[in-house]
Amino acid sequence: MVREEDAKEENSPRVWDEKPNLTKPKVTEKNDVDAAFGECAAVVEGTFSTPVQLHHALETHGNTISWTEEELTSWSSTQGISGVRHDLAQNLKVAESKVRVICEYMGGGFGAKFGPIVEGVLAAQLSKQAGAPVKLMLTRFDEALAVGNRPSSFQKIKLGAKADGTLHAFDLDSYGTAGIGSSGVSEGGGGGADFPAPYIYKIPNIRAKQSGVAINAGSARAFRAPGHPTASFGMESIVDELAVKMNIDPVEMRIKNDTSEIRRKEYALGAEKFGWKEKYKKPGSSPGPIKTGVGCAGATWGGGGRGTKAEAIINPDGTVEIRCGTQDLGTGSKTVIALIAADIFGLTPEQIVVRVGDTRYPASGGSGGSTTTASVSPAIYDVCTKALAELQTQAGVPDAKGENWAAACKKLGVNPLHVNGQWQEGLSSSGAGGVQFAEVEVDTETGFTKVKKITCIQDGGLIVSKLTCESQVNGGIIMGIGYALYEQRVMDRTSGVVLNPNFETYKITGLADVPEIEVVLLDMPERGVIGIGEPVTIPTASAVANAVANALGVRVPHLPMTPERVLEALGKYKPAPAAQPAAA
Amino acid sequence: MNAFQYATATSPASAHELIGDNGRYLAGGMDLLSELKEYIADPKILVNIRGLPALSKIEPGQQTWKIGANATISEIEDHAELKKTFPGLQQAAADVGSRQIRNSGTVGGNLAQHSRCWYYRHRDVHCLKKGGDLCYARHGDNRFHSLFTGCTCISPVPSNLAIALCALDASVTVAPRSGKEKQMTIPELYAAAWRDPEAHNSLEHGDLILGVQVPAQGRRSSYIQMSAKSEFDWALVSCAVAAKVEGNKLSQARVVLGWVSNIPYQVEAANKYLEGKELTESTANEAASMILADAHAHSDNGYKIPIAQTLIRRALLQLKA
Repeated sequence: MVREEDAKEENSPRVWDEKPNLTKPKVTEKNDVDAAFGECAAVVEGTFSTPVQLHHALETHGNTISWTEEELTSWSSTQGISGVRHDLAQNLKVAESKVRVICEYMGGGFGAKFGPIVEGVLAAQLSKQAGAPVKLMLTRFDEALAVGNRPSSFQKIKLGAKADGTLHAFDLDSYGTAGIGSSGVSEGGGGGADFPAPYIYKIPNIRAKQSGVAINAGSARAFRAPGHPTASFGMESIVDELAVKMNIDPVEMRIKNDTSEIRRKEYALGAEKFGWKEKYKKPGSSPGPIKTGVGCAGATWGGGGRGTKAEAIINPDGTVEIRCGTQDLGTGSKTVIALIAADIFGLTPEQIVVRVGDTRYPASGGSGGSTTTASVSPAIYDVCTKALAELQTQAGVPDAKGENWAAACKKLGVNPLHVNGQWQEGLSSSGAGGVQFAEVEVDTETGFTKVKKITCIQDGGLIVSKLTCESQVNGGIIMGIGYALYEQRVMDRTSGVVLNPNFETYKITGLADVPEIEVVLLDMPERGVIGIGEPVTIPTASAVANAVANALGVRVPHLPMTPERVLEALGKYKPAPAAQPAAA
Repeated sequence: MNAFQYATATSPASAHELIGDNGRYLAGGMDLLSELKEYIADPKILVNIRGLPALSKIEPGQQTWKIGANATISEIEDHAELKKTFPGLQQAAADVGSRQIRNSGTVGGNLAQHSRCWYYRHRDVHCLKKGGDLCYARHGDNRFHSLFTGCTCISPVPSNLAIALCALDASVTVAPRSGKEKQMTIPELYAAAWRDPEAHNSLEHGDLILGVQVPAQGRRSSYIQMSAKSEFDWALVSCAVAAKVEGNKLSQARVVLGWVSNIPYQVEAANKYLEGKELTESTANEAASMILADAHAHSDNGYKIPIAQTLIRRALLQLKA
């Protein structure tokens, strides 16, 4: 059982003997939806699907572990060194005081790298038996099987609005697979097949039924904004359909119905930057076989901060070291720390030595939920502010910043100054709104889609580092384009193998596929620091899908929007019935 | 990857001697090394043929161009005179993989590379092409597979160069382990794959490709491929065309499709139909319909038909320029 459509049928072979593959639906209901549809001026219905997206961080999962009498040291590719330390100690019955986890740099996690996982426990046991350090990194093939994925979805949606375009009734019936564990609880926090519904929009009359279906495939794990890109694709697609049916401009439709003040502002600003008014045409109306279209979509995310501790060391020679037990996933956490410290001390970032990724440093927390910058920044602010004050007191210098720094430090004598600090309330907050606009070109004779431009307007509160923040936005958009056009796990019904366990056939956005990306960060220092790593990948696929529908005049309701599916939507190709799997 | 021996050939004769019964020739390694890493191939010895003298040259000629088997795909791509004479061949080379792959991959290796079928390439699937008894693609997901086949295996020939060279009526010089050098046309080079599910091409074990001859007869040529991605992706369908165009009249036309068959696919009747015809959109469409008339779509690959129709038309009309 590797296909959701097959597995959900009542008489299908069971993945788990004791229960059916399809779970009882999780139901959310508000008021009488059926009656509410009767009150609508326009109603649209659609069926949408999204694929299983595989976790494929460029650095695969794994670690090197040395387990000796004195200590168990793990050099781990992880999003949470403290979690790995805790779980290794528990699993292997070692005192936590004898476990050290190090991860100074790593090549991406995206939600799939929490805890030591099998590869950690295995490497530790092998190291003990071998009496030597053991390196165990998974291969690309392994990554396609066993390190998690974003669950699929099949969404049947009905949406209605009043004559003025106000959304009034919403009905969702969905299922999807989170793999073999799908009929149990969701793994890894947010790894289940359900998703927020209705996404973003507040609708007075709601019915949402969501099920998971177990199949014989790798389990889901939290995946960059779990649930959100999936939810966004269905919802933003149907909102667009309704806007077109009611002859309302899609941006106007959103400004009318979105209750977030920030997003409404972003839609207005984005439309202007993107040139929406000039670019938006009646669906399918651009001339010639290669058609252009535009679309938009919005996103919401938490991204708040939480308890992090840090230590500042000021040496008599003026050098500075900041220690924090966070980890840098490749997002630039070390840069963020250096920038804040340099700003407070009146130094340049190059003068700050930043040390992260070691459980011997003051603890931070796992890097998940876009919380790292919002967690770490306030702690660094706190520790550096305190350290500066302490230095000024000890040295008897009223202002030790900048040009006075060296002289003040010299007065410390022989011993360095150690100061501890921690995350403080009020310097960070949560609730990041973002919107994106997409412009595409679709070849109606070959089904090939090219994304020409993405404009992203993103709120991140106080922007600590524009460079690394924009880099996050770029990455999120590039990943979102993969979700829109290329990525999908394909499994074989006869043999049950993953047919595309490599980048040859599990296609990801390549350099030549990356469009012009325009990033506008709403800098709102008064809100404090808010993480943006996840929200920026949420609306990309939805905006691209809406742009494709605008170009073609018909919707491609399934992700990824491959040439095959574009041609099918255009009626230029009808898929044949699926072949029967061969007898085993 | 399993262990293997390694040797360097200094002449075709030494290559033949070293290859033995279980060896493989190593040139750019782009195809062979991935087969080794996936445990699909298990040769006892790799015979490096990269250093064979005089096999790396691209030699222009009035009548015939000679391209050595060890010329890299980048060298074809970058050759200014070749681009003028055989624009279709140059484009086919430029569309191979990534620049890194083209820098390493050779003409001989590109022609002799093995199937990319995802069942064949999967280490845990023992398919018909690997000596098993089932073509899983026929019963499974065949979105990348063939519309025209003469046998049970439906994996398409993956070589870009073969498609362009076929349109250009090129021939390949092959040195067999015993006997004299032989000339094979491109259709002959792949004919075995049409009838034998285990064959990737017609080469016998130990056959060594020495080079390619391309007749220079003043024909124009073009090549277009359509992939899911903009660059660095296998084609879903490709099309190469060569013809003389005089006063917008076609002669000696040859239209070849890639990624739709175990062989570079052409229909002689369509080539004949084009003889003496005006190069127009309707002529091109008619030829496309003739070529695709016998297409047999499987469960997932029928979308290739409208793409092929489009590419044939576009590739033919490109000859106008």
